[in-house]
Amino acid sequence: MSVWVYGEQKSELGLEGTITRKIEEDLYEVFIGPQHPGSGHMRIIIRIDGDIIVEADPDMGYVHRTMEKLAEGREWIKNVPLFERMAIQDACNVTVSYIIALERILDIEPPPRAKYLRTLLCEINRIAAHLYGFGIFGVFIGHSTMYMWSFADREVMVELAERLTGARLTHSYPIPGGARKDIPQDFPQAARKAVRYFRRRLEEYRKIFLDNPVTRKRLEGVGIIPKKIAAELGVVGPVARASGIKYDARLAEPYDAYDEVEFEVPVFEEGDALARAWVKFEEIKQSLRIIEQAVDWLERHPREAPIHDRFWAKSPPLWKKVFEAEGRVKLLPLMANMKLPPGRAMARSETARGEIIYYVESDGKSTPYRVRIVSPSARNAIVFKYIAPGYKVMDLPTIYGSIDYFPPEADR
Amino acid sequence: MAGIIDLILSIIFYPPIYQLVLVGLTGSLVVVIFIIWFERKATARVQRRLGPYHIAPRLAGLPQLVADLIRYAFQEVIIPRTADRELFVLAPIVATVLSILPIAVVPLTSNPAYWPIPMDYSILVALALTTVSPIFLIVAGWASNNKFSIIGGVREAFVITAYEMIAIMSILSASAAVLTFNLVEIVEAQRIWYILLNPIAFLAAFLSVLMATSGFPFEIPESENEVVAGPFTEYSGLLYGLNMGAAYMKRFAFSILMVLVFLGGWSPYTPGEGILSGYLIPSLIVVAKAAILMMIFSLTRSIYGRFRLDQALEGAWRLVFPMAVLGFGLALLEAYLGVM
Repeated sequence: MSVWVYGEQKSELGLEGTITRKIEEDLYEVFIGPQHPGSGHMRIIIRIDGDIIVEADPDMGYVHRTMEKLAEGREWIKNVPLFERMAIQDACNVTVSYIIALERILDIEPPPRAKYLRTLLCEINRIAAHLYGFGIFGVFIGHSTMYMWSFADREVMVELAERLTGARLTHSYPIPGGARKDIPQDFPQAARKAVRYFRRRLEEYRKIFLDNPVTRKRLEGVGIIPKKIAAELGVVGPVARASGIKYDARLAEPYDAYDEVEFEVPVFEEGDALARAWVKFEEIKQSLRIIEQAVDWLERHPREAPIHDRFWAKSPPLWKKVFEAEGRVKLLPLMANMKLPPGRAMARSETARGEIIYYVESDGKSTPYRVRIVSPSARNAIVFKYIAPGYKVMDLPTIYGSIDYFPPEADR
Repeated sequence: MAGIIDLILSIIFYPPIYQLVLVGLTGSLVVVIFIIWFERKATARVQRRLGPYHIAPRLAGLPQLVADLIRYAFQEVIIPRTADRELFVLAPIVATVLSILPIAVVPLTSNPAYWPIPMDYSILVALALTTVSPIFLIVAGWASNNKFSIIGGVREAFVITAYEMIAIMSILSASAAVLTFNLVEIVEAQRIWYILLNPIAFLAAFLSVLMATSGFPFEIPESENEVVAGPFTEYSGLLYGLNMGAAYMKRFAFSILMVLVFLGGWSPYTPGEGILSGYLIPSLIVVAKAAILMMIFSLTRSIYGRFRLDQALEGAWRLVFPMAVLGFGLALLEAYLGVM
């Protein structure tokens, strides 16, 4: 067991350096959370020597809701509203891969229009979730302006999603074989206006937050995760991309319309909190690009039912009338207690916080036999344990905010 | 009748009572209510919100803090069983009283009839009194017997050691320039405001006051996301309100000191004889200038986050302290050249 050396952390950040050891008597043990303004729904037990964290122990599970078990007692489609509760501002991203897994078991492919609609909502959600993350990050390092701005601007994206789906947050938008609603007539204008607005606002965000000297001082060189360590810890999403790992589920295994739209995956090499903030910032820009492309595509192509023919052919005439009148796909009755053929499938999608993986197993009943969820925050929580030691107590909120850890998603 | 009025006036305007009770306690309360309202409104404007509004919309929510104070006053004061009872209760009260004490020893007029104390060493006395109150914040943190409070108290101690030297050096640079410890002479000597002659010292003093009163890039002892409310974590009700108010009252006291030293005191006005022209008007000018200075202090909240503790200390010792020394040197040079 090696002795931890303060200040040597950057060069010697190896996993063997942070083995949990016996608490020394002169260490101060502080319980940050769960009733703490800087903890969220979790507890971080830190042991500090002076102002330096010697050990950090993330204690998760305060909002565990047994989602995987609950899913086994519900019909396939009814699990979508359940899984949305993991990250409500990121509802489409966290459920789309579940739907894709179901489609793989059913062996169907949604029509291109549905793919673009899902992609559109996914990117709207991604921006909203990143803004939420920025807001929490801002208030964690005492920057109340960033908090207020990003929460106010998130409303733009939330309203855009409301126009598209009818719901502000938990949209329950994707269904096996398609999507629930086509875009309304005035959606493209509203979306383009929102994109223009965000391009302007992002510049102001950069000025007040990312390029603010005080913020830079707080974030630069804090919570460095070197590329090798990031790979060993298995972090995903913006955390991995800020450490130079170019991994994105949208690239690794393109789903929906991601193989057709043009976008870049921002990768930074520094691996510190500032790089993670920049990754999120650049991702918002890329999401705006994708929204523009998706809206253009949807406008160019004729309206058709955004659902697979296998379901649409069987639907009663009333359903078709509703679609023609409102552009809304009424949920098919056969979908409510649909039986999936026996089989198993795995699917992944890139949420705002990283890659989410669903493993779905069916034994031919109307409920799943097993749904396994690997959520990004659960994979990123390990950063607390291995990266936080060696930094100051005041760096803990910085690290927390920069990895954008979201307890409801991690605990499931 | 006139005799009675004169008697009452002479009691009210008996300098120690006037400066401690009227300017110090009541005046600072009014200024603090206004400043906190201004701070919240200005921050809200930057952040595209309304800020305080619903209490008296016609006054744009100005009495919001009065409502808050009433709420604090009627809230139950919970004293934890593990706390050191006497110190826990006394510390915030003593800290608040001590934080306005410097106001009672500074001159608010050049008329010798209305000086609260002999003025020969008044700048030293005032500076010395500013250094007393922070100790009781550490006491409050210690008496709470809570880990967050103690960490907050220790942070407060670090910050105190960093800012006090800077505040004293930069404010004393005026007395080096004028070659006197007499605040009245310092004010009278400012044909040009001292801020223009020595902006370096003013900047150092400005930063040190921000540090002293937990102004925004330096809002470290109470930093919510690590130490909840720092030394005040266990406090509730009126005691919490006092704790929070103490920082602003201290800022008011520092602002008055800075107005006298850097911004010409009662400068455009020449105090004459009698209560009105000799005491009331010059003192109101000083208070108004102090309020404007405090408004500038409160703008940092919407722009900056907070520094880390070690960064703030490093900045204070490596950057602001040399700045204060430089300001002091500049003051000596000016004294040598006889500028003032």
